[in-house]
Order: sequence, then structure tokens, then C-alpha cells
Amino acid sequence: MKLRTKLTLFNTLSKLVLVTLFVLLLPVLIRNINQNFTDNKLQKQKKKVLGIIKISGIKNNLYAAYSPLKDQFYSLDEDSLDENLDTIRNEKRKIEGDTIEYRILSYNFTLDKKLYLLEIGKSIDSIGETTTPLQNIAFVVLLGMILLTVLADQLYSNYVLRPLGQIIKTKLIGNKFPNFGSYKKVKTTTSDFAYLDISIHKMIVTIESTFQKEREFISNASHELMTPVSILQSKIENMFEQEDLSDELKNRLLEMQRILNRLKTITKTLLLISQIENEQFLKEDNISLAVLLQEVYDEISIRLQDKNISYDVVIPQNWNLIHVNKFLLFNLFFNLINNAIKYNHENGEIKIVGTRENTSFAVSIIDTGIGISAGDLPYIFNRFKKMRQSLQHDSFGLGLPIVQSIAAFHQIKIEVNSEKSKGSTFTLIFPESLIEI
Amino acid sequence: MNVLIIEDEKALAAELEIFLTNYNYICEVCFDGASGSEKIGVNLYDFILIDLGLPDYDGLDLLKEAKKNNPEAICMILTARAEVFDRIKGLDLGADDYLPKPFSLLELYSRMQAITRRKFGLKQNLVDLGEFTINLTDRTISYHHDEINAITKKEFDLIAYMLLHKNRTLTRSQLSEHIWGSVINDDYDSNYIDAHIKNIRKKLNVFAPPDWLETVRGLGYKIKINT
Repeated sequence: MKLRTKLTLFNTLSKLVLVTLFVLLLPVLIRNINQNFTDNKLQKQKKKVLGIIKISGIKNNLYAAYSPLKDQFYSLDEDSLDENLDTIRNEKRKIEGDTIEYRILSYNFTLDKKLYLLEIGKSIDSIGETTTPLQNIAFVVLLGMILLTVLADQLYSNYVLRPLGQIIKTKLIGNKFPNFGSYKKVKTTTSDFAYLDISIHKMIVTIESTFQKEREFISNASHELMTPVSILQSKIENMFEQEDLSDELKNRLLEMQRILNRLKTITKTLLLISQIENEQFLKEDNISLAVLLQEVYDEISIRLQDKNISYDVVIPQNWNLIHVNKFLLFNLFFNLINNAIKYNHENGEIKIVGTRENTSFAVSIIDTGIGISAGDLPYIFNRFKKMRQSLQHDSFGLGLPIVQSIAAFHQIKIEVNSEKSKGSTFTLIFPESLIEI
Repeated sequence: MNVLIIEDEKALAAELEIFLTNYNYICEVCFDGASGSEKIGVNLYDFILIDLGLPDYDGLDLLKEAKKNNPEAICMILTARAEVFDRIKGLDLGADDYLPKPFSLLELYSRMQAITRRKFGLKQNLVDLGEFTINLTDRTISYHHDEINAITKKEFDLIAYMLLHKNRTLTRSQLSEHIWGSVINDDYDSNYIDAHIKNIRKKLNVFAPPDWLETVRGLGYKIKINT
């Protein structure tokens, strides 16, 4: 979930909880406020009445009265109680057959050696009648305020988080290293974002300079290694041209040529792997998979014949590889099929099968060779790692590392299934973006 | 034909000169870009071989100068630097070919021949081998005007390469470098040349024994033509 969505969601929820709590508490609050207010009013009325009595005395003033709607009443009577009364409480009274609950102030006092009881009452209903409308109004007003603040929050967080979105969009998403693009500062007044932006920029610069250094190293190493090999190769070739060479010398030159070739192949292969890992290849070729496999077959058929291995390709004709490097993919298939031949028995079988499961395209290279033991399986992609059973074969253990780096460069996944002395299956799982039908 | 070799690695320049002189080219050698540039400005050449990694000069600048002052010359770039971008740049600037070091001298000669043929549009390039005729333009081999279809592309490549270097013994390493040069694999000796030669002989034997294709014991193969 996006930060902005999270913030908005939290804001809205927390406000809703607060408002709900407030609205739920509102009746209690209002009742308390009303009661206090009523009590105050009753006290004032009591004072007023006592003031009148003080001035004019009680002359047949003993009476009881209630308002027409019975929501208030007033009574002054002689009292027979001994104790002093000065209370306000809720009590039910019966007036003309109706039982009504009142808030009643009771006060007794002595005047002219006579005990009197003053009671002023207000019906509870009349006190509480404002509660519901108040609650409703409060609810509506608060809801409106929430909507307004949520909207304001949303706008503000949009505004304040925009640089973050820009940093993510322009600096991180779809940014493939090495990019070597120019640095564009993201506009922001938030220091955290400015710091994030500059930190990411610094990291990109570091990564790119590392890439650049590696690239220069590969280029220089390749120059320094290939030049002497080139000189030696030319010298040996020119020596062959001499006519007065003894057969013995020729054989030794031949041996030198073969060993030099070995050095050349290893160096070329190692440089190729670093070049791939340094992303120095373009992915701009489109080629039909069947055509590519045919090209590999043309190169490799002699090896199949040599061991009399049957070779079967079941690949849909309409699978086209797009945005790939043809040279690299050729070498990927060449090495896998070459291995399938190398580690196969005479009269063995190799099958290449393409299967599709929804959006995933798999190409399996299945051989009936010597297989790989479970213990060796995790190490087969390590450079210069040679398995015990493959020692008799003349290779130096870079075939599968090439395959792996080419596959990784194209985001192709490799799965290996193998059973000792039964054979191996190497499955390449192509991402959808590489195949067009 | 005149060849200008611009190569700062003296030992390699010397070998190139020996080899190409052997193949009847007239060679001039420069060990740095400045003298190379001077020669390009003054003389006309048929071939200019430029090493990209010169210490004093950008090889690509040299290529530009060559294209300007020697527009007829065939320019080939030799480099030990492994940069794809340079390769593309080199070809864009009008280099006729690009040969990554280390290369076989035979390969260099074969490329030079191929470009010459392309550039001057040689017509039917036919060579008679015994009762067979090789057509280097159409890349076919025929027996008394009947085309032999059984020969594969690889097999023809081998025949044509040996024909180009006729009467010279080619080692298995040299032959396999020519036909599998662009394949990167991890075999010490990915050498199936013998199998290919066996196939070629078998296929041609149906028509007539290809006596001209000789095995040089212990060394390799050659095509022998008496001239």
C-alpha cells in the first residue's frame, strides 16, 4: 500500500473513531450539563422566593401550583419534619392522575416559629428534550468537519509527498544499471526527501563508477591478455609456413598451437562472462526460436553424428524471441546441447521440448546421459568446477557458468533435474517479455 | 596490392608483415598513429590494417583520416579490446571489417580476400578441382556441371578455406578456428574437423575420389593443386 493511502486511511479512521466516541458520550454529557443548569436555576428560583417571603412574609401564602403542561410545579407548605432539608433530587410525583418524574428542590425553613417546606420541581422530560436535536446537530457538524479535514489532509499529503513519488519514479523504478544518465534534482522543501534524493544519487554514482571501472578493467585486461596470445599465435603460424621444418618440430609447434588455443579459449570465455555480467551486450535481436535452434544444430550436428545420438526438437514454430542478444543465446543453447552430447552415451538421445503454461514459456533439453549426482548438483554452475564423472572429458568447467550468466542477463530461469546414470534435463524458463507469438 | 599495417605491438607487426609478404602483398609498417596518419596522408593503399589500441592516437580517428585520404582503401580494424560498442562504432565509421585479437593470420587473409571479392564484384569465381568445380560466389560444388547438394554449409566452408590457402597444410586448430570461431564453449579441443573431412570425402567419393584433398599425417589437411 502506498504511503499516501496509508496516511489518509489512518487520518480518516482515527477521526471517525474520535467522533463516534464523542457522539456516543454526548447524551451523558448533555444530561449532566442540563442537570447542572436546571439545579442552578432551581437554586435561583428558591432564592427569589425566599426573598419575596422575607419582605412580605407568609400570609396565607401557602399554596401549590403547576404549569398547565405539568412540566413545572411550585409548592409552599407547613412542614412537620424535624430535620433540615436542602436537597435537589429526582422524584416521581402524581399530579392529577399522571405520574411524572421531576427534578425537585426541597428546602425547609423556620419562620415565626413555624416550619415550612418549599418545593420547586421541573419535569425531567422538559430537561432532556434538547438532547436528541443537539446530538444530531453535533453529529452532522462533526461529520462535515471530518470530511473537510480529510480532504485537506489528502491534498496536503499529496503535495508534501509528491517529491517522494518523483524520487521513486525517476530514480528507482525502471532504472537499469548502468544507466549513466544525468542527475536531476527533485524539487522539495522537505529535508528528509532532499537527503533521500541526494543519497540515492550518490549510490547511483558509486554503482555507475564501479561499473565503469569494471568495464575499463575488462577492456584493459582483455587487451593485455589477448595481445601476447595474438603475437604467439602469429609467430607459430608463420613458423609453419617455413618449408625446411623437421616433422618433429612441426609436431611440437602443433602442440604449442593447441595449448595456445586452450589459453585463448579460457581467456575469451572469462572475458565474455565478465562482459555479460557488466551488461556490455545489447538486447536488440529478434529471432525465431526454431531458426536459432536450427543454427545451433548446423554447428553441432557433426558431434551428434560422431556419437550417433538421436536428436529431436519439438518447438512451436511461432515462438519468436524478442529483445535478446542472438550471439549470446546461440552460445547458451550451443553449450547446453554440447553438454548433452558430451555427457551422453553412444547411441543416446537428446530431446528439446517447448512447453507453455499460461504466460511462462519453457524449453527443456533432455538427455539420456550419465546424469549428475544429487551431491554435485548445487555446484555445477561454479566456475572451473569439474565433476568427478566429467574429468575424462576435455573441458575446463566454464560451459555452465557461461550458460548461467547469459540466462541471468536475459532473466531466463534455469531448472536442472538429473538422476545419476539416467540423464539430465535442463529447463530454461523464459519470461513472457522475451517471447512473442 | 599495397598494405599499410598500423600496429604498435612491434612483434605482431613483424609477423603480419612476414605473413602478408609471403602472400604477395607489399607491406609498409607503422608502429604509432602519428606516422600512420602521415603515411595515410601521402600514399595510396589497397588495404589499411588499423590497431585500435594505439598509445598516441585514437584508432577511430585514423580510420576517419583513411576514409578521407584513401577512399578506395579497404580498412580493417584489429583490436584486443573487448568492447561491443567500439565494434559498432568502427563499422559505422566505414571500416570494412573488424577482427578481434587474437586472430589467425589465415583468417586475416581469408577476410581480406572476401572483401576484395565483394568490393570488386568478381564474377563467377570458379576453381576446378580434379573433376569437381567449386563456385566460390554461389558457394556450390559440382561434378561435371551437376551440383552436389549433399555438401553442407560447414563442409563447403572447410573446402573453400583450404582452397584459399591451397598447397598449404592447415592444422586442425586453424580449421576449427575458422569454422567455429564465434562459438564460445569450454572444450579443450572441440575438434571435429576429422569427422567433417571424412564426411566430405564420403560424399564426393560417390562421384569421383577427391584426391586433391590430402591428409598431412599428424598435422592436418591441405588441398593440393598443381599449377
